[in-house]
Amino acid sequence: MSERIDHQPGFILHARPWRETSLIVEVFTAGHGRLGLVARGARRPQSSLKARLLPFQPMALSWFGKGGLRTLHDAEWLGGQPMPQGTALMCGFYLNELLLRLLPTDDPHEVLYDLYQSTLLALAGGPVGDAAVDPQPALRRFELGLLSELGYAQTLDRLADGEAVRPEGRYRYVFGEGVLPAEAGTPHYSGGMLLDMAAGRWDNPETRSEAKQFMRALIQHYLNDKPLLTRQLLRDLHAL
Amino acid sequence: MHPPALTALIDALRVLPGVGPKSAARMAYHLLQRDRGGAARLAAGLTAALERLRPCERCNNYSETPICELCANPRRYPHQLCVVEMPVDLNRMEETHIYQGLYFVLMGRLSPLDGIGPREIGLDRLVRRAQDGVTGEVILATNFTVEGEATAHYLGELLKGKGLRVSRIARGLPAGGELEHVDGLTIAQAYADRRTV
Repeated sequence: MSERIDHQPGFILHARPWRETSLIVEVFTAGHGRLGLVARGARRPQSSLKARLLPFQPMALSWFGKGGLRTLHDAEWLGGQPMPQGTALMCGFYLNELLLRLLPTDDPHEVLYDLYQSTLLALAGGPVGDAAVDPQPALRRFELGLLSELGYAQTLDRLADGEAVRPEGRYRYVFGEGVLPAEAGTPHYSGGMLLDMAAGRWDNPETRSEAKQFMRALIQHYLNDKPLLTRQLLRDLHAL
Repeated sequence: MHPPALTALIDALRVLPGVGPKSAARMAYHLLQRDRGGAARLAAGLTAALERLRPCERCNNYSETPICELCANPRRYPHQLCVVEMPVDLNRMEETHIYQGLYFVLMGRLSPLDGIGPREIGLDRLVRRAQDGVTGEVILATNFTVEGEATAHYLGELLKGKGLRVSRIARGLPAGGELEHVDGLTIAQAYADRRTV
């Protein structure tokens, strides 16, 4: 069955060259999830499409075709969202890499779509583009939301046996089991951080820095320990 | 079936961007049938360029001498260093006849999702070049694509950290541009980058 979809809200995640003059555009849409679209002729100098295929901007996408690769025939810029700058831009690349690596194609995720859009907005500093916001809480919320949409919801305020996490306790995290009391020789985390994360409280700087380490370990696990390119790039830049 | 030399030529022409099997065959027949002199010049030109052109030690652009003509020109203003992605971008800047400083050509851009990092482009060489003690201002003229912006952001942080003054070329309406005919995103970014008058 051939399909024709018009004006579907979506974001460009990544575009890469395809054949001689075209692009394969990975998009994340509200109603159809992640999919790959061919933008035919988009690399020709006279094409107006390429300049419009900017990531991190809400678009109305129209495509047709069936199965694996469909053809993008229009991308209309919707506006209303400032372009992330500086650190926020790098965080945006990180979000896109997570979606490209973890989200299966042709699987609608409307809740995650809304979360992605609001995360981009928070990173860019809200509708007026107020810079100098700490991106960490928004990134953690997105990581947790992404994992739970993928079916890996995390229970952080209770132990595997149902006992409540204590703020002053030390805990470790075991995949498939959940939060367990800390043991010597394994990475462990404070109960306060786990409770803060479960409740969405990010005002404690210790919570922010410990949550980053915790989520990094979790994300790495679901990526089968294959390194993230965006993280590698940051490391290489810091080494200069 | 083509004779082996013709097959090899068609395959070789396909290294050019935007050239597929059909265009390559058309080019090969054109060179052989209609322009054998042009074909000889092309062959000689390629051989000479490959043999003689090396990256300039100062700006990373192609040069036949260790330091290119532009970098060696004493009339250029040595305190400004303009960073561009590709040689074509340098040529565009030169066509303005406004910029009198020197250049550094990255020969690419950071592209986080394609695994193109600082090692793949000449970032370490630029950092050394900018710290020659003469450069007073680094002007970032990478493209306004997300990759060009990411490159500019990191170069800015990196070079500011080394105590250099860094600026970014402006973004906004094109010269002679009318709001009525300019796309929405350009207007949105021109608004974001507005300046006090």
